[in-house]
Amino acid sequence: MNTRRENAGKKDLGEVIVITSGKGGVGKTTTTASLGAALALRGQRVLVVDADIGLRNLDMMLGLENRIVFNVVDVAKKICKPAQAIIKSKKSNNLYLLPASQTDDKDVVDEAEIRYVLEQFRREFHYVLVDSPAGIEQGFRNACAGAESAIVVTTPEVSAIRDADRVVGLLSSKGIEAKLIINRIDFEMVRRGDMLSVRDVQDILGIEIIGVVERDDQIISAANCGEPVVYNQKSKAGQAFTRIAARVCGEQVPVPTFDSGSLWSRIGRKLGVNA
Amino acid sequence: MFNALKKKLFGESNESKETAKSRLHFVLVQDRTGLTNEEMAGFREEMVKVIEKYFVIDKEGFDIKYHRLADTTTLLINSPVIVRRSTSGSSSKSSRLTETEPENETDTETAAVASNV
Repeated sequence: MNTRRENAGKKDLGEVIVITSGKGGVGKTTTTASLGAALALRGQRVLVVDADIGLRNLDMMLGLENRIVFNVVDVAKKICKPAQAIIKSKKSNNLYLLPASQTDDKDVVDEAEIRYVLEQFRREFHYVLVDSPAGIEQGFRNACAGAESAIVVTTPEVSAIRDADRVVGLLSSKGIEAKLIINRIDFEMVRRGDMLSVRDVQDILGIEIIGVVERDDQIISAANCGEPVVYNQKSKAGQAFTRIAARVCGEQVPVPTFDSGSLWSRIGRKLGVNA
Repeated sequence: MFNALKKKLFGESNESKETAKSRLHFVLVQDRTGLTNEEMAGFREEMVKVIEKYFVIDKEGFDIKYHRLADTTTLLINSPVIVRRSTSGSSSKSSRLTETEPENETDTETAAVASNV
C-alpha cells in the first residue's frame, strides 16, 4: 500500500481500499468505520463508502443514520451533486460517509458507475474505504471496481478462512493486492489449542497480515452508541485499529501474534504460572 | 495417568485447531485448483507413480499443497523418501541411503517438488 500511497500522493489522488471478506458477519462494516475513524484521527482525510446497497449499516456504526439525504446510487445516477451526498462525521472533521441506498438492489449500479462515483471523491480525500457487501456476486464486484488494494477481514474460523481464501483469489485475478485482518481472535483459546493462531491463519492463507484484532465487548457497546471503537483508547480492539491505521499509512508497527512461545512458557501457563 | 498429565502439560490430542487446519488444508486445495475430488485423486496417483519410478516413498506422508504467496502461486508436493531406487550410476548419497532399512519409517527424507503455477 505504501508504494501506491506515494504514487497517489504525486497525482493528488486518494487511495481507494476495498474492505471485503466473502463471509458475512466477520466485521467488515465495523472495520471500515473503525479504520476510517483511526485514519481520520491521524489527520488523514477519509471517505468511507457503504457499497452494501439494500442493507446499509455503515451509517449506524458512525451514528449518522439520521442525517442521510442522498446516497451512493443518487451520485451514480447523477441525481445529486457528489458533495451533496457525503455526510461529515460528528466526531471528526476529517471523516465523511457516503451512505448506501436502502431501497435499491445491488445490481441497480454497475462497476463503471461505482468507478465514476469514486473518481468524484478521490481528489479530496487521502483514503477512500469501500465497505463491500458479503458474497462474491455483483455487490462484491461493484465494491472492488475502483479499488487499488484490498483489506480482507476474517475471523479464525474455518468458514471465514475458506471464504477469505476464495476472495483473495478473486481479488488477485483482478490485480488487486490483498492484506488480511484477523478479527475477533481470543488468545486464551489460541493458547488452549482451540482456535487457529495468527501464524496458522497466515500459513493457510499465505498473505500479509495488516492487523490482528482481539475479541472485545467494547465493539458491541461502540456499535450501540454509533461511535467507532477507536475513540475509546482503553479498548483493545480500538488500539488494534489505531495500529492498523498506522500500518496503512506506511508505519512499521509489529503485528502482535501471541503465539504459544517456548515449551517452558507453555508449561508454565498450563500450570497457572505466568512466565 | 501419564497420558492425562501429558495432555494437561502439552494440550495434545484434544487441540481442535489441528482438526480445523487439516480440514481447511483439504478443502482449500480443491477450492484453489478448481479440481474435483476425482481429478485431485487422479493427479495425486499419477504424481506418486512418477516419484516411485525413482524413489521408494512413504505414500502415507505424500502431500500436495497449493500454496499462495504474495505474487506467485506454488504447487508444493511433499513426499517422504524412504530410499532412492538404486540405479547403475548411483551417487555416494544414494548408496548411503539404500543401506538403511526401508521399513525404518522414522529414517525418511522429504523430497519437496515445487513448481510455480
